[in-house]
Amino acid sequence: MTDSIFTLSPPEIAALLLSAKVAVFCTLNICIPGVAVAWLLAKKSFIGKSLLDGLVHLPLVLPPVIPGFLLLLLLGNQGLIGKWLNTTFGISIAFTWVGAVIASAVMGFPLMVRSARLAISQVDSGLEAAAQSLGACPLRVFFTVTLPLAMPGIVTGLILAFSRSLGEFGATITFVGNIEGETRTLPLAIYTYTQLPGGDTAATRLVIISMVIALVALMFSEVLERQANKRIGRDIAPKNNR
Amino acid sequence: MIELDLERTQGNFSLRAQCIMTEQVIGLFGPSGAGKSTLLAMIAGLIKPDTGYLIVDGEWLFDSKRGINVPLHKRHIGMVFQDSRLFPHLNVHENLSYGFNLLAPKDRVLGFQQIIEMLEIGHLMVQKPHQLSGGEKQRVALGRALLMSPRLLLLDEPLASLDVRLKHQILPFLRRVKDEINIPMIYVSHAIEEILTLTSHIAMIDDGKILAVGPFEEVLHDARVLAIAYSLGLENVINAQVAAHYPQYGYTSVTVDTQTLSIPNISVPVGSTVAVSITASNIALAKQKIVGVTIQNQLLGKVINIKSLEKSVLVTLDVGCLLIAEVTAKAIVDMKIELGAKFYCLIKTQSIRLIKF
Repeated sequence: MTDSIFTLSPPEIAALLLSAKVAVFCTLNICIPGVAVAWLLAKKSFIGKSLLDGLVHLPLVLPPVIPGFLLLLLLGNQGLIGKWLNTTFGISIAFTWVGAVIASAVMGFPLMVRSARLAISQVDSGLEAAAQSLGACPLRVFFTVTLPLAMPGIVTGLILAFSRSLGEFGATITFVGNIEGETRTLPLAIYTYTQLPGGDTAATRLVIISMVIALVALMFSEVLERQANKRIGRDIAPKNNR
Repeated sequence: MIELDLERTQGNFSLRAQCIMTEQVIGLFGPSGAGKSTLLAMIAGLIKPDTGYLIVDGEWLFDSKRGINVPLHKRHIGMVFQDSRLFPHLNVHENLSYGFNLLAPKDRVLGFQQIIEMLEIGHLMVQKPHQLSGGEKQRVALGRALLMSPRLLLLDEPLASLDVRLKHQILPFLRRVKDEINIPMIYVSHAIEEILTLTSHIAMIDDGKILAVGPFEEVLHDARVLAIAYSLGLENVINAQVAAHYPQYGYTSVTVDTQTLSIPNISVPVGSTVAVSITASNIALAKQKIVGVTIQNQLLGKVINIKSLEKSVLVTLDVGCLLIAEVTAKAIVDMKIELGAKFYCLIKTQSIRLIKF
């Protein structure tokens, strides 16, 4: 016990690394589907649009324990898809870090889609029409005009989802439990320490780390957005002149 | 050549445009809300007509009967918009290259360097659109559209968002494009002077219908066009030949058929053709030639048409060319202005404006 109060114990380091891994994979995984769904919701009208919209946003308004429980019903080893995955491929998702990724992806997805959707719908459709008139097919227009112009909002969405993933608790603990080294992410570790006698110091250390990471992520997104706006000459003056 | 018969109804506005355009440059002219932009958008493929057909240079771009609707990006129709629509995340060079790079090298009719020099935008290459002035933006937008080597160039009020000074800076570039590059153009505007700088052939559109297509001077005297032309503050536009200059007296004399007109002094060689405009309300009518008056131009003509408007009456006279004078209803009665009667049209030299040379 010669370590200072600022030294992390191995389980704490494991929780930190696991959280980082889960958040990175979560962000990478929702990147493309998030942009695709955001584009659908922003630019297209189709049957079932409001249903899709509702389903995407449901995790935002439900207590996180409910998406977690639904995931368990769906992907748990006895679940609808989980059972099939397990018997056919021998893959088990529940109670693994992959499950934690899925849980936080479900919870972070609406944040990503909301931000990306707003950004895509704000891209001037006149610019897209101009690009088409210059001979660009719709796919090229998307990648050369829509996507670059919506990028600040998409990046903001991804950072929000990343932060959400770091903080995800309810769905994760319901779906994949609280297994040290496998599914015990930062918030779960903090919770566990608060339940242990004398665990407050460790909990406090992890709380500080969590707060710093979240703050840095938010500041980073702010900087990225400002740079992106500057690049396209959008007004970056603070909007306090009501 | 463009041949079209397009119909589209949206809400309570329906547009039915039917015409054949053979001139290189056509000015599509009409009041706002007449359907100019809608027609242009249908030709470009931005919006889909309900029924009809569109043929550009022999190629069917739209035909509702056979289900032909060539998508926007395959029509090769260039567009210049009022709001320039430059891509804000790309610099000027990248904007100009956007359509150019999508063309196979053998299809690039116009050279990059040629266009840059013609529009004088070489020094702007690394700038971003938000760093450009309004006039520069429109030149770049024009260059970007030209560099895709379009078979047809559509200009949708490209100068409408610029102030008068800038307009006069851009117009010469548009004329250069017309003179140096043989691309058919449709130029939409509600400012007739802009159109006449480029072409005297106009298609007059109102309330979703093309009323007339042809040389401006003829179209203007179409009875259906007259009221609209007036509501737009339209002036008499006359083509005249420069006969002689009298700089010491501050005027130039020009001839219109057998008549002679004095206009404010201009520096255009004798013998060249100019177009001048005279506002209808600046023409007074007199039964006899008036002596002892400063008004220089007194042209005798016969009344060939009288059209009553809400607050005044438009009288068309044949003085060798057609002139429209705006008078009050009272004057019609008092002076017995009727078809076939002869009157002198009195026009102050200073009220005549040169609009094209």
